[in-house]
Amino acid sequence: MLLFRSEEWIDKWCQRNNLERGEVLTINQVWELSKPWYYNRLSLDYHGRSMEQVAEVFKQAGLVSKFWYIQR
Amino acid sequence: MDEAARHFNISTEEASALYKELHNRHAFFLEPDMPSIRMAWPFSAIPTDFKVHANDKTYYANCAWDMLGIPVVLHADAVIEARFTESNELVQLEIKNGNIALAAVPGGEDAALSKLRVHFPLPFARWYDDLVFT
Repeated sequence: MLLFRSEEWIDKWCQRNNLERGEVLTINQVWELSKPWYYNRLSLDYHGRSMEQVAEVFKQAGLVSKFWYIQR
Repeated sequence: MDEAARHFNISTEEASALYKELHNRHAFFLEPDMPSIRMAWPFSAIPTDFKVHANDKTYYANCAWDMLGIPVVLHADAVIEARFTESNELVQLEIKNGNIALAAVPGGEDAALSKLRVHFPLPFARWYDDLVFT
């Protein structure tokens, strides 16, 4: 996941590298997503996350498009 | 890995097997064909474009998402120095009291936190196909 100055720079990068554009989030969206994703990652009680829990984190962050589906 | 083997008082072979198991379970990501950790999310074992200063230490993050994950996982304020892809400029972000702010960005009045974007190149179901690209 790469950081860009603005939407326009993503288009330039995709074009130059002949890559399809993926999903684009604002920095604030990613910050909010980081909180539930990482808050307990270093806890001794953390034993990984089930696919259902992953789906719930995405849903809470409003990420509900097919891009965020947990299975192909 | 030798250090881990000594710490847990197990053989190098046992440590190697456990490393592979933890890699397979996505607890961390090993360098290809090497018994050393490349990614222990959100931390990177190699320098990247995402440098995070927190708790009087400097860490590298694997990606733009992980640079925000480091202050979360450490429960600490942080200053992040990152490089924009394509425009190749350095930007400084500050995490303080749970909030994110733009501390410094070169080149102009059009710079704003609200314009910054993170690009996710692959859908979630394919993230583990190629973690370095992801």
